[in-house]
Amino acid sequence: MKVSRRTFIQTGTSATAAALVLGFRLPGVSAVSETDVFEPNAYIRITPDNVVTLWVTRSEMGQGVRTNLPAALAEELEVDLDKVKLEQAMPGARFNGIRLRTSGSGSSSGTFMALRRAGATARAMLIAAAAEIWKVDKSSCKAEAGYVIHVPSRRKLTYGDLVAAAAKQTPPANPPLKAAQDFRLIGKQLKRSDGALIVGGRAVYGIDVRVPNLLFAVMERSPYLGGKVASFDGSRALKIPGVRHVVAVDTGIFPGVAVVADNTWSAMKGREALDVRWTRDASSDFDSNRFIEQLKTASVEDGYPLRRAGDTPKAFAAAAKKIDAVYEYPFQAHAPLETMNTTAHVRADGCDVWTPTQTPETAHRDLQKMLGLGPDAVKIHTTLLGGGFGRRLIIDYVHEAVTLSKAIGKPVQLLWTRADDMHNGFFHPPAVERLNAAFAADGRLTAWLHKSAGPDLSLLGTPTPEERKDLQRYAKDESPWGAFDNPYSFPSMQVDYVLVDSPVPTGPWRAVYYPARVFARESFIDEIAHVMKKDPLQLRIDLLQPGDVLKLGTQQVNRARMIRVLEVAREKSGWTRPMVQKKSDRLYGRGIALNIYQGDSYIAQVAEVSVAKSLRDFRVEKIYCIVDCGFVINPAGLEGQVESGITWGLSAALHGKIAFRAGRAQQSTYQDFKVMRMDEMPEIETFIVPGDVDPAGFGEHPVPPVAPAVANALFAATGKRVRRLPITPESLGS
Amino acid sequence: MATFKVTINNDSRTINADPDMPLLWVLRDLLSLTGTKYGCGVGVCGSCTIHEGDRAVRSCQVKISEAAGKSYTTIEGLSTTVAHPCQRAWIAEDVAQCGFCQPGMIMTAAALIKSNSNPSDAEIDRAMAESVCRCGTYLRMRRAIRRAANEARKL
Repeated sequence: MKVSRRTFIQTGTSATAAALVLGFRLPGVSAVSETDVFEPNAYIRITPDNVVTLWVTRSEMGQGVRTNLPAALAEELEVDLDKVKLEQAMPGARFNGIRLRTSGSGSSSGTFMALRRAGATARAMLIAAAAEIWKVDKSSCKAEAGYVIHVPSRRKLTYGDLVAAAAKQTPPANPPLKAAQDFRLIGKQLKRSDGALIVGGRAVYGIDVRVPNLLFAVMERSPYLGGKVASFDGSRALKIPGVRHVVAVDTGIFPGVAVVADNTWSAMKGREALDVRWTRDASSDFDSNRFIEQLKTASVEDGYPLRRAGDTPKAFAAAAKKIDAVYEYPFQAHAPLETMNTTAHVRADGCDVWTPTQTPETAHRDLQKMLGLGPDAVKIHTTLLGGGFGRRLIIDYVHEAVTLSKAIGKPVQLLWTRADDMHNGFFHPPAVERLNAAFAADGRLTAWLHKSAGPDLSLLGTPTPEERKDLQRYAKDESPWGAFDNPYSFPSMQVDYVLVDSPVPTGPWRAVYYPARVFARESFIDEIAHVMKKDPLQLRIDLLQPGDVLKLGTQQVNRARMIRVLEVAREKSGWTRPMVQKKSDRLYGRGIALNIYQGDSYIAQVAEVSVAKSLRDFRVEKIYCIVDCGFVINPAGLEGQVESGITWGLSAALHGKIAFRAGRAQQSTYQDFKVMRMDEMPEIETFIVPGDVDPAGFGEHPVPPVAPAVANALFAATGKRVRRLPITPESLGS
Repeated sequence: MATFKVTINNDSRTINADPDMPLLWVLRDLLSLTGTKYGCGVGVCGSCTIHEGDRAVRSCQVKISEAAGKSYTTIEGLSTTVAHPCQRAWIAEDVAQCGFCQPGMIMTAAALIKSNSNPSDAEIDRAMAESVCRCGTYLRMRRAIRRAANEARKL
């Protein structure tokens, strides 16, 4: 059975909770047998020297898991966060059944309750142990800052003193959790736990791993899609000082020839001296412009039905007015600052792999199979990630390094250059979104028709001919997100997905399916508002009436929460007041867009732009971001993620595009695949709508509304509608 | 291969390497000073920024043969106690996300406030616009640089 894209990419909160329950040790086997360690569960170890070690079960890639996850444990365990030792979880016995995969923006929210229970369990056992030693009632004892205190007598013991006695306690089934008003850490402004290491240059990312006798490698891959090594001559490369090995590596994804040397520079020089001949296939002359045209053609065809309400054909037949628009979204690269890399040491009896990955369990599983080793023999050390953004859910680079280390029998660090990273990505797939709306003679909106055309994420493999016959395939999958979970209410509605295969490898990218679909949907709502001569913010509120909970598959879309966010946006952005015309030679405009991420987090953004009257340049001046993501675990972290997501969204809206010509991505570095820089940054103001519901995810969520909010603001300023990303001054027809 | 003498973080080092080897790889692979990061290798991202004297340079663009006889400071040598005003300000403003670009950013900012003790926002933007942070920590960085400059002026 194929795993659904939704469950694959997303953190299903319930699935995670179930996994964590499974991961809990049973009473009796819970504590390690030695008496000098207290390990009530996989996350916590306390030793007699008073060292408290907490395990982090997600990959740190800037979203703050090494701060937020330990905070949930430390809150309930009653220890100070700056006094604990952090360990990164490793796939294997200790974490069997516990999810280590980092995706779907669910790391902090999805682990929250399980970690609190884990901390509370340990606290209850420590208190019980102290009460037993003092022969007092448990209820007269409390835990505080690493001590258990007998309140009436003020006696106290450190957690280290209690290790042996606590290990003998039976873990309580339902340990009491702290009340929210007693939180010291949760809900407070928490700074990053790795801050000092990072600013001192001592934080260890994948490329910083150094092990004895380490060799360094780079790899030449096909200069176009679909190429395999036909033949190669490594003799010139082997003459470069420092070059040790030249090895063909084919892991089935991007085959090539690796050069292994004493240092990275020698490996790079050796690579330049390689002579490789490549095979070609049908994809080798792929051209992305041609492909976008193909998507446009496909976008009128029947697709997989995602949503149906009312009689859309009838509404269009009876319409007094109809509008249509086609929106284009290009290929995008992830381009994290740390390029793909892995350090591997394969031996006959085992292997160690140090890698920046979002999915260590996949590496653990794959490598057992590849190397014929048992689970204990394969050790995956997850390093810090110099950015993830979905790219590191695919571990092609781990396979390469392991294959290489096995071939040469030595520890090796395989590094992708920046150009390797740009050329051989699992790109964010392009899309063409065709939108139609119908209006009655009295001006009422009567129908919404959305056809979304584009490739799916190929990392899961493209569907078989048999699977393609299931017309409900994508509706069941609830994808593409943003098209399927359209939150608005229309008298009639039709949403389809037209699947068009592409030979370019594609995978998840920050906010996965949403960016292309939300750009189209939120721009088109703006177009409708213009036709109806309605305020675009008010029209959204009207279309979310009656403020009910919309049930869509597994999602519950709470329209009342979205309306509340829009009302706060109206107030905080000064929406009803005209913008200040700061300079007489510029035009000013404001635009709004919203998105609801899987019924979890509710976001509205208002963008303010200024445009030269000549239309030769424009600038995003400010973005207001209004957020309801339920209970906020770390407000400082949330604000950071807002700034990060908006910057990411702006990079895509204003710059991001990978173009393929002759089977080759044309961009090689940040010079031609531009991303936001400091001098282009708008002001960003975040407002959190307080929520007492459970915490929801947030890492990806600010991305999708950015492009439509900016496009809508540009329309307000200039009357020019931009329907293709990236938006440049040329988009305004200057 | 040839031998070069170069001063790194006040230590005199003798390097045996290809004359064309960029300082970046000398630091990372020969000296295991991995705080200086590889981001692009062509001088457009700023991740590998170090100081040549007081001046910020891209270590991927300096060949060891050109570096011979000169003195360099890397992020590891900026302050052994992580107490440089930029480092302190970075922590105070909670700037870092993934953190990978931050050593290069801090080295760029440290050179800026050394040469200009009270930079305006426009001057900060100009100096920092040569560097890429994919996590988008720019606004906090700007605040941190202002804070660091203020602190440095009081020293």
